[in-house]
Amino acid sequence: MTPSPAVEARGLGKDFASVRALDSLDLDVSEGEFFALLGPNGAGKTTAVHLWATLLKPTRGSARVLGHDVVRDGLAVRRRIGLVFQEPTLDRDLSVLENLQFAARLWDLPGRVAGPRIAALLEQFDLAERRDVPVRTLSGGQRRAADIARGLLAEPRLLFLDEPTAGLDPGARRSLWDAIHRLRTGRGVTVFLTTHYVEEAEPCDRVALLDRGRLAALGTPAELKRRAGTATLEGALLATRA
Amino acid sequence: MRPLYGIVAREFLRFLRQRGRLWSSLARPFVWLLLAGTGFAAVFTGNAQLDYRRFMAPGLVGMVVMFGAFLASLSTVVDRDAGVLRLLLVAPIERGAVAFGKVLGATVLGTAQALVVGLVLVPAVGLRPGAGGLLLAGGAIVLASLATGALGLALAATMRSLENFSTVMNFVVFPMLFLSGALYPVQHLGGWLRLLTYLNPLAYGVDLLKHGLLGSWAGSGYGGEWSVALDVVALSGCSVVCFIAATLLIGREGGMTRTALRDRG
Repeated sequence: MTPSPAVEARGLGKDFASVRALDSLDLDVSEGEFFALLGPNGAGKTTAVHLWATLLKPTRGSARVLGHDVVRDGLAVRRRIGLVFQEPTLDRDLSVLENLQFAARLWDLPGRVAGPRIAALLEQFDLAERRDVPVRTLSGGQRRAADIARGLLAEPRLLFLDEPTAGLDPGARRSLWDAIHRLRTGRGVTVFLTTHYVEEAEPCDRVALLDRGRLAALGTPAELKRRAGTATLEGALLATRA
Repeated sequence: MRPLYGIVAREFLRFLRQRGRLWSSLARPFVWLLLAGTGFAAVFTGNAQLDYRRFMAPGLVGMVVMFGAFLASLSTVVDRDAGVLRLLLVAPIERGAVAFGKVLGATVLGTAQALVVGLVLVPAVGLRPGAGGLLLAGGAIVLASLATGALGLALAATMRSLENFSTVMNFVVFPMLFLSGALYPVQHLGGWLRLLTYLNPLAYGVDLLKHGLLGSWAGSGYGGEWSVALDVVALSGCSVVCFIAATLLIGREGGMTRTALRDRG
């Protein structure tokens, strides 16, 4: 028996009132893959991720995550995934540490597991000295870093990163890529990235180009460039939009 | 259990962090006692049996419950704006557990504040309820916190932002307070206003508090007006219905924030 794909979509679509955010997506992402959903703002990337993360219900088609249907078995899906949202999810009145402790409890991590993990993440994202100040007093980049640390806390088998580097300073950006690299090589975590920065999709195993709610192209970065007859992924992206 | 504890602990931490909210919640009933109590007491001086400040005490405790529990769960709208609601929705817990945690947090907050205020207020106005009365009043505080907390959450689950906060204050909080029997017996209200009191969970909570704290007044028309059984059934029913509604509604739109809605295009 072949293992279920980590992420799967069959004719998956979502409408918001009269707006068709996602048309009809067919996609398989294997376990252990480093995958990027690349497209301009408004292409439907976040909608797709929210459908897999069980935050939204599909209008059409079906979606599965690690073999579990997102509609029928939402809890099983949420137990296995991590998600770093495009927008902040932190309580601005609580400190960085309190926010991470809150998330650790939500993910049912015992204190003896959460404590060292939180300390390591704070160190990794240069937040150790700011851990006791309210999130409201942090800079935009520090807040973003704290949010990413929150997403990595539960060490999921599958990690969705929705535009993770937006607003991140170069140092924190490097910490993020280092963390992702460690998760992938050390624990074989599947990483599903959405981005509108072409250079971030470059190191991925495979890239899907999403345009106006439709899958425009799918393949390794090399394949996409070859097919479009361009030297860069950016050229391939522009070619699909033409 | 750990996720539930996490949700409740955060509510408590937020409350303690917001100093203004803490102090105003503790001072509010005494300001009312001083300003409204003194004024109304003067109106009621003709009635020898009635000490208005004593009559008002159960209602003021009910008011603390409402501001404590109802507004705490209503602040889930703030969680939506801050993105914390989405964190709760993507956490590996059922929607019902999210709703239960929020209602439990509101109940604990409402109960704690009402107990602190009640322990000062009740002796201060000269009420001396017996052990049974105190127990009943304690139960009333917990049940009323639960019912108004669940109502607040159900309401918050349908709202996108607190921009309409003043609408909520004008059309929910103040009518709930004035139609609760906290300031005057509801039996004197006529027609549709009287009907509204039957839909107001706070009215049952205040009535139950009067049974506990003003037990000996029942005959005079200033104690509890409905039966204890009706109060308990109504408060429990309201809690269950609102909790179910909140569970069904809280995941609406994936806990989307306003910014996300605007960007979705």
